[in-house]
Amino acid sequence: MMQLPRQAIVRILLSVLLILSLYLLSAATENSVRFGRLYLWLLLINGVVLVALLALIVNNLWRLVRSVRARETGSRLTLRLMALFVVLAVVPGLVVYGFSMQFLQRGVDSWFDVRVENALDDALALSQASLDQRMRDMQQRLQDAARDLADVTEEMAPITLGDLRARTGASELALLGENGRIIAASSVDTANILPHRPEDSILLQLRQGRPYVGLDPIENAGLHIRALVPAPGPGGPGSSRVLQGLFQVSPRIDNLAAEVETAFSEYRELAYLRGPLKDSFSLTLSLVLLLSLLFAVWSAFYLARRLVAPVSRLAEGTRAMAAGEYGTQLAPGGNDELGYLVRSFNDMSRRVADVRDAARHSQELVESQRAYLETVLGRLSSGVLALAPDGSLRTYNQAASAILSVPLSEGVGRPLSTLVNRYPDFGPFVDLVAGYRQSPDSEWRAELSLDTGEGRRALICSGATLPGEGDRGGEVIVFDDVTTLIQAQRDAAWGEVARRLAHEIRNPLTPIQLSAERLQHKVGTRLNGDEAALLQRSTETIIHQVEAMKEMVQAFSEYARPPALRPQAVDLNALVREVVELYRGEPEQPAFRLDLDEDLPWLQADPGRLRQLLNNLLRNALEAGEAGHCRVVVSTRQGGGRFVDMIELDVQDNGPGFAESMLNQLFEPYVSTKPRGSGLGLAIVKKIVEEHNGMISARNVDGGARISVRLPRVMPDDVRQGNEQ
Amino acid sequence: MPAWKNAERTAIGLTLLLTAMAAFAQTGGFRISELDIRVADQLVLADARIDYALSATATEALENGVALVIAQRLRLQTARWWWGDAVVVSQQRRYRLQYHAISRRYVLTRLESGESRSYRSLDALLLRLGRVEAWPVVRLDRLDTDTDYRLRLDTGLEVDELPRLLRMVAWINPEWQLRSEPRYRALSP
Repeated sequence: MMQLPRQAIVRILLSVLLILSLYLLSAATENSVRFGRLYLWLLLINGVVLVALLALIVNNLWRLVRSVRARETGSRLTLRLMALFVVLAVVPGLVVYGFSMQFLQRGVDSWFDVRVENALDDALALSQASLDQRMRDMQQRLQDAARDLADVTEEMAPITLGDLRARTGASELALLGENGRIIAASSVDTANILPHRPEDSILLQLRQGRPYVGLDPIENAGLHIRALVPAPGPGGPGSSRVLQGLFQVSPRIDNLAAEVETAFSEYRELAYLRGPLKDSFSLTLSLVLLLSLLFAVWSAFYLARRLVAPVSRLAEGTRAMAAGEYGTQLAPGGNDELGYLVRSFNDMSRRVADVRDAARHSQELVESQRAYLETVLGRLSSGVLALAPDGSLRTYNQAASAILSVPLSEGVGRPLSTLVNRYPDFGPFVDLVAGYRQSPDSEWRAELSLDTGEGRRALICSGATLPGEGDRGGEVIVFDDVTTLIQAQRDAAWGEVARRLAHEIRNPLTPIQLSAERLQHKVGTRLNGDEAALLQRSTETIIHQVEAMKEMVQAFSEYARPPALRPQAVDLNALVREVVELYRGEPEQPAFRLDLDEDLPWLQADPGRLRQLLNNLLRNALEAGEAGHCRVVVSTRQGGGRFVDMIELDVQDNGPGFAESMLNQLFEPYVSTKPRGSGLGLAIVKKIVEEHNGMISARNVDGGARISVRLPRVMPDDVRQGNEQ
Repeated sequence: MPAWKNAERTAIGLTLLLTAMAAFAQTGGFRISELDIRVADQLVLADARIDYALSATATEALENGVALVIAQRLRLQTARWWWGDAVVVSQQRRYRLQYHAISRRYVLTRLESGESRSYRSLDALLLRLGRVEAWPVVRLDRLDTDTDYRLRLDTGLEVDELPRLLRMVAWINPEWQLRSEPRYRALSP
């Protein structure tokens, strides 16, 4: 069951009371004895209600105007509805009121007919005229009787009066003296001894000698004609006696006159009360209308508010939704369409909130996936690049930047080719990718040798088209720096070769040398001359070459199995100066330029191995240079960027540089461009650098070749322990 | 007090009185000008002079056939310090005033007895109505000699006796508010 709000119940009660009061008022207006006495109270109560309603309406109006000014939600709609209700209620009410008033006035007036009024007037005049005639007759009779009394003394008067009364047919005859004193009287009604005294004004008129005749309605006795005439006594005309006669009108005329009188009086009264009747009806009608209209207006406020309330709530809810407060729930309305609208809004709001939560959840999921992916990519040693369909860089990982030696962060959102201008070394990679991007294959694999700022690198690249809209959804490129791997494989192979060589060659060398010495010792003494000299030269050659081979084998052996590192704090600058000093006196007259960082911190390294490294590098540089014009630049400095914990050493010569074909295997044993090199120098250098967990790279620069070595300032524990073992 | 001040007060009083009388004539009004008590044959009698003046509205209604009822109320009461006055005797005389169209006379009827008299003019009727002579109030032996009594007389038009439609107007219209101020006379037996 629908629950009515308390305010509605109060209003319904009030309206019932109002209708009851108006009914009583109208009942009292009509000729109802029961409510007649209540009329004034009802008027008063309704008046109070009227004032109260007016106050309520003014209060409501003021509130409405204030809320419209404050631009509260729904106030303008309330005002519009309110105006509509008021017009709908007031205009028909006023029309009905106007017509009712007109009907009332005309209706009441129509009860009174002019002809009836005239007829009644005429009837009255006729009655009066008819009675006037009788009155004159009676007066004449009385005057005749008065003459008979002229000689009658006061003592005889009662007897004469009796005769005269019988003769004139009067119902009462009275002889009055001075000041209306009764001298004698005779009446038909013997019970009533005292005659009806005339008024003073009539006596005054008589005293002036003018007779009086008139009608006198006597209660319970009907209409009488009262006549008074002067009745001079024996004293002559000077005496002021008056004869009064009362003549009863014949019963028939009396009845007729009474009826005319009653009808006329009632009609006159009714006609006179016409005004108050109309006023009374008009007042009641006006009060009823005014109360009804005011009640309607007051109720219009309530209804307008009630109708607008859900709309206002909806408007506020919509505003809240627009402001991003999803999930806003409105108080439920009724069972009408507005209530349905509110429920629908609540459903929609809840669903939007659910969707938002779901979206937020999936976004968080995506974010976590992304973070996960980034962590995974960041930890990957392989470089990963993701390209957008238009070829611009979308994402990359740190390993990609490190392997390519290009700050990829500068190229995010732009095509890779834009980086080539600033980092020309990056070109081959970009060309490779661009080439494969043009091809229809969705996956590709390639090897690339890239000359980076940190040396030449062997990369194995693989690319795949990403799924996406259109034909191509971008590209992912994964590449690995296999330089170290290849090097390690080669190193391992060379180590094995060296070990076997040392083993296989060293073993026969000693018997060869011993045999050659014995040959010279045993046979040399027996020979002489040229033969002895030939033998001498041959055996010496054999011995020398065997020595040379032993040295070579020793070198191989050292390469294959280096001694354990003994790291300690080393001043690299001092070491460089010391080693360079050894070469100052070389026959090639090399020119050394030392570009040493004076603030260079000490590093932890094996000074013996470092010296060997410097020796090899310097010798390599000197061998590359042209005799007499050899110029070597040795520079040290502290590393920057991601190499901040390293110390860098560059050795640059002014030779012809490395052959392009050799750059990939420069640090391998027996790779040399020089006619007199052992081919092991740079291989040993690289080995020493790797033992110190450093890096080495070589590249051609303007006017020569440069070998760069990076050594960590502090050797990692595992490296140290590994070396010690 | 200076003589001129007395004269001024008299002049002002006279002006006010004249103004009141003019208004009295216009709107009508009842006024008890005299109230006397005399004792005759062990009977307390009251004599009074009442000036009756009907307002124009009331006169018009009367001449249009509306009967008017005027009541004269007489009360003998003793004062009580702890409550309102105690009423010893309460009497009332009610008169109906009517215009008789055929005879063109005004009829005054005493409603208690039905006794009636007619008058040629309304003034004559009102003059007669205003003359109260020997209204027996109470027997003297019924009164307590130690008590002070007060006789109270007032008169007024009975609006409730008017036709119902006129009543509504009469309650609102001051021209119908015709009643006198009560007049008192002390009585010490």
